[in-house]
Order: sequence, then structure tokens, then C-alpha cells
Amino acid sequence: MHNVVIIGAGPAGLSASLAAAAAGAPVLLIDSNPRLGGQYWRMSADDFQDQHNQHFDLDTGLLLINAVKARKEIEVWSGAQIWSATNKDGKNTLRIIYQGKERIVNTENLILCTGAYDRTLPFPGWDIPGVMTPGGVQSLLKGHGVLAGRRVVVAGSGPFLLPVAAGVIKAGGSVVALLEASKSRRWLTSFFVLLENISKIKEAFYYIKTISEAKVRARFGQAVIAAHAASNGELESVDIAKIDRNFRIKKVQNIKCDVAAIGWGFTADTSLAGSLGCNQLVAKDDGVVVWVDGEQQTSIPGVFAAGEITGIGGSDLSMAEGVIAGISAAKFVGCNVEVLKAHRKRRAKRQRFANALIRAYPIKPGWKSWLKDETIICRCEEVCLSDLKHSINELGATDSRTAKLLTRCGMGLCQGRICGRFVVDLVANELNLSPTDTDRISAVNRPIITPIPLGVLALGE
Amino acid sequence: MSQFDIEFTFDDNTITASPGQSVGAALLAANLRSLGQTRFNKNKRGVFCGIGVCFDCLVVVDGIANQRACIVEAKSGMKVQTQVGSNA
Repeated sequence: MHNVVIIGAGPAGLSASLAAAAAGAPVLLIDSNPRLGGQYWRMSADDFQDQHNQHFDLDTGLLLINAVKARKEIEVWSGAQIWSATNKDGKNTLRIIYQGKERIVNTENLILCTGAYDRTLPFPGWDIPGVMTPGGVQSLLKGHGVLAGRRVVVAGSGPFLLPVAAGVIKAGGSVVALLEASKSRRWLTSFFVLLENISKIKEAFYYIKTISEAKVRARFGQAVIAAHAASNGELESVDIAKIDRNFRIKKVQNIKCDVAAIGWGFTADTSLAGSLGCNQLVAKDDGVVVWVDGEQQTSIPGVFAAGEITGIGGSDLSMAEGVIAGISAAKFVGCNVEVLKAHRKRRAKRQRFANALIRAYPIKPGWKSWLKDETIICRCEEVCLSDLKHSINELGATDSRTAKLLTRCGMGLCQGRICGRFVVDLVANELNLSPTDTDRISAVNRPIITPIPLGVLALGE
Repeated sequence: MSQFDIEFTFDDNTITASPGQSVGAALLAANLRSLGQTRFNKNKRGVFCGIGVCFDCLVVVDGIANQRACIVEAKSGMKVQTQVGSNA
């Protein structure tokens, strides 16, 4: 019988696995990717090619991955898709498709390390092939050794744009524009936080060096506000605009490109936690995250969470949280182990850095002025802005849930993972209201964690 | 180097891939950016999120529709097709 079940094998999940195993608890580590490492340390196949130049610190990742593989107390299920998770009478039931069959895992002790994905905002033409998320461009580079296109525009907001631009350059591509929407200089006010997190500054300079050697200059206060297709239906150019403090368009210019990588930070993937019934809350960046206490325990006793799902903060914070979650879960199953003061101090230091990041890259409401009536809002169900407005102004929807039911916005295959977060803002804006936390939390909950073929269920346990 | 020892077809094209590469990555490497067409407007779509979240890069693999090109690993002899709508 497995004592601690850990979901997700990125920085948080790997750290949690090692900490729990070191404390004496057997671990079952379940991950959807074919290889360990998560998004941050996304690995290409072993015999493909060395990907060191696509990473700032691949060695730390390899160290953790090899340590997990070496510990026989840790059983690893890679390429496993969890499609359902329920909590009843203190018992958690996970339904998993693994090696073509359904497996059912019952456990009282779970650590959720399900990570995050790119936060997107809609704009005219964002559904054209060639418009991607920065994470998508990076995963192609790190995991598959493929550059998505020759001429790449990297835009949006947040520090993640830097490694993506640097990665494109290192792979031989050309970054034709690097645009940061924020003009914030709030970094300088957090001097102490910078000083105590010097390794993060080193990481930023590692990327900036590559970018400046390629003679690319980041432009601040600018954004991609529209994309245009050639006659073959694929991306040909984007409109880039100087924007004001509130993201309202000032001056527009057109630029040719093959790929536009546009992202606005990250959205935590709380689907599993929400399905189990863990309490969630709205973070400073308006994203929904899982509530945890100082031991990384969620509102459900025995269910712990670590990494991006408890608040976007990067790999170092994820690792610090993962260690604490691993120790706490091991203690919960009866191991004689305690979280050390040093662990808490390390987490606090990295949390201060994460907080400074969120303050430095605010997403301002003016992005809504970039949209046109015919702009696609829900990519899956092809719902456009005018459909959403119609559901409110003509059909009388007074909240985002009703607007969703009337338009099918967010009811497609991705289950609102892409549009759910900003639809709440669009609906509230049309109603002249501020979104409530309940609006935001209800937009991220979904009954099926990942769609699966029904036939597989017939083969299961 | 064991690069490009996998061969599969995408509609009428023969595509090469390295072991471990996804179908979507191999298609992008071959400069094929449009993978399918949407159900209602028949607009072209390609790889968007790249990590299996958005379900935009749907293709038909060996006759089975709704496969995410970004996460399906390329295998020799695979028959991959453009998915038009829900392929119903």
C-alpha cells in the first residue's frame, strides 16, 4: 500500500517526493507527462539532443529527477491521466488512465502539485495558427527541439517572456519584437527582496545577456493588440501598439512575423483540488489558487498542495513548498519528522520575491478595448464577444455562469481553461460590476479533469 | 545521432520525426502550421498552448478523432489527418 500519493512531477512534486521518501514514507508519484520534470524542467527524449542551452539550471532538475528515479521507495507512473478525483468520508478516490487502462487509487494522503499554464487574454486574430502562448513555444524547444517559426514576436507581460525570447534566439530564430506591456519600475522599491533572492537576478541576467547579444531590445508599455492571417489562413503579421498605464491603445504599427508568443503570466491548474473540494481563494493577480496552511495542508485534512497551484511564484518557491508538503504528508502518515525552521525561512524568502513579481506586472483593464464584436472569446465553442454581449443585454444574463450557459462560452473541450478566467472580467465589465470571488472560483471548477475516450473505462479494474 | 528515424503521414505528406517528438512538433518543424478546421466557421487552427490544455491542435490519428497533436508522440507508420470540425 502506498502511503503518500503525489500528483505532478515538476519542481514541487519532485521535491515533495524526495522529502516524503527521505522521511520514510513510500511514495506513488503520478504525472501526466511522458518524462519527469514538469513544464519548468521539460525534458526531451533521452536519445534526442542535449537541451542544456534551453535551461538556466537544468542540472538542478536532473539532480532531482535522478534522485527520484534512484529511490526505490518512490514508484513513478508517468504518462498517467487523472480524469476524476473525489473526496468522501476522508477517503480520496482517483480515477486514472495509465498504460491504456483505468486504475483506481484510494488514498487518505495526497500532495497536489499540478502546476500552472499560460494566462491568456483574447484579441482580434488570436485564434490564427501561428499565434501561440510563450509556454507553448518553450515546450516545443525544451521537449521537442523544435523552433515554432523563424521570425517570432514575444509579447505580453511578466518575467517569463525573457527565457522564451532567449530560447528562440539560442535555437537560431529571430525575435523581431520583445514587448512588455508593463512600464512598472516597482522592482526598485523591492531592493531588499531582490538582494535576498540574488539567484533569481542571476537567472534574469542570464536571459538578458542572450537577448542583448542578439541586438534585441525589449520595449516597455507595448503590446500585440491584433493578429492578421495571410490568404492561406495562417499568421502573417501582428499589430503592435504603444499602450498607456491602463493598457489603452495609443499608437499602432504593423510587423511581419511567423509566430507570435503572447502570455500574461500564469493560471494555476486547480481542477483536481477543486474536484476534491479543497477551498480555493482569489490571489492578488485575480487568479484562483488553492488555500493551504503553514504546513501546506489544504482545507481537507491529509490533502496537501505545493507549487504554482497555491500561488504563482516560480520554481524556487515551488521546491521550497514541495519539501514542506513532503515532510508534512510523511508526518501525517506517522513518520517521525518535523518541518524545520530553515524550510519555513526559505519558503518565506521566496514568497516575498513572488509577491514582488505580481506587484511589478499588473494586468490593467484596458485590454478589453482591444476587442471587436467579432473577436473570438471561447476558442473551443467559437463564441465571439457579440454573443456574450447578446446574452447579457438581450437575454438578461446577470452573471458569468448564466452567460456561459446561454452562449456555451467555456463549455468546450478545454472546459474553460483558456477563456474562463477572462470571461468573468468581460461579463462583469458589460454589467458594470466588479467580479466577485465566487464568480472567479466557480469559473475554474470542472467535473471532468481531462476528457477521455469512454471505451477505456470498460477495460478498467 | 538517431534523429529523424520516425516517418508518419499527415494527409498526403510524409513527415519525419525524432524519437519522443510529438506529432504537433514534427508538423511545425515541417512548417505545417494549420492542423485542423473549426466546427462552425471552418477557421484554421494550429498548436496554441503546446502542453495539452487548450484542445486547439486536434487531429485524427489512425482514424481516431480529437487527438491533441501537441501531446501525441509520433510513431512510425502513423496516419495523421487534418480534423475538420468534430470529424463526425
